[in-house]
Amino acid sequence: MKLNLTRSDKVFLGVIFGGYLAVIIYIVATGYKFQLEGVGQRWIYQLPFGDGPLSRVNPMTIIMTWVVMAIIIFMATRVKVFKIIPGKKQSLLEVLLDYILDLVKGSVTRKEFVRPIFDIAASLFLFVIVSNFIASFPGINTIPLEGGGVKLTILSDSWYAPTSDLNMNLMLAFFVFVMSHVYAIKVKGWKKWGKSFFEPIWWMFPINVIGEIAKPVSHALRLFGNIMGGAILIVILGYLVKYFVLPAALWGIFGLFFGAIQALIFTILAIAYISSLIE
Amino acid sequence: MLMGKFIGAGLAMGIGAIGAGIGEGRIGASAMEAMARQPEMIGTLTTRMILADAIAETTGIYSLVIAFMILLVV
Repeated sequence: MKLNLTRSDKVFLGVIFGGYLAVIIYIVATGYKFQLEGVGQRWIYQLPFGDGPLSRVNPMTIIMTWVVMAIIIFMATRVKVFKIIPGKKQSLLEVLLDYILDLVKGSVTRKEFVRPIFDIAASLFLFVIVSNFIASFPGINTIPLEGGGVKLTILSDSWYAPTSDLNMNLMLAFFVFVMSHVYAIKVKGWKKWGKSFFEPIWWMFPINVIGEIAKPVSHALRLFGNIMGGAILIVILGYLVKYFVLPAALWGIFGLFFGAIQALIFTILAIAYISSLIE
Repeated sequence: MLMGKFIGAGLAMGIGAIGAGIGEGRIGASAMEAMARQPEMIGTLTTRMILADAIAETTGIYSLVIAFMILLVV
């Protein structure tokens, strides 16, 4: 398989590779010491007003969410004219969105809900897969120090993935949960939806409620556990074998491979949850 | 209390990995059997097996998250 790289592609790759080489030479030449610090902690900022859990924010999540959105919008505006015979970027987008459209068409039986559910599923898929991929490239990150204050680390830790924060995953799962019930009410009406909780027999009501609540919990915790657990695992394993060359393969497997698979699982389950309630 | 942390994290992850191991072994076994029966569907079956793998691994990941929370955060 022969790659045809244009000249601007080669210049771009050469600049990135040269930059990383320069940073590695700088680190080796000045005798940088490897330390393991702040593995499980994240930067939490206390707002000057309010009290309780709503007065603390996590600024890295907010900043990195904007960065992920900027990346997706930048990728989307690179294709200006849609040609009949597509180029590389357009065909990649088409393959992804075609796959999701096939999934949605195979699960949803009502014709007028295919387009809204496809919009929701494609947005979720693109956001989750880009924010999982970001965690496998080295970049800017923060480590909180004791007694307030934050240390900024450049190129010695991966980019901070927004899906490694539990709040982000809970919000995405809660969004899918609310949308599925909104669509169910729209299709069936209030009475029939309320009756569906007492469905096989009237004392199954608590079991149905627990089943409805367990779906977003497991939906969110799966993604959170994979991304954050994978990141902590790689940091600790890499620190244990710090003088041998191991972590590149680990970052590849945990960040890229499992990240992509978990994004696909999230989307498939979101489609299944929404389409099973509008039956 | 530090020793309690270590024992708790070790037990949480250790017992939690039993379920994930058994589940994924059964998924792999039926995938192998189906692939031997119909060799022309090996590509599709591999993709679906990896998808089923990710769902069966969920409870193992729950115990990993609990072990990390006991060990590093609390």
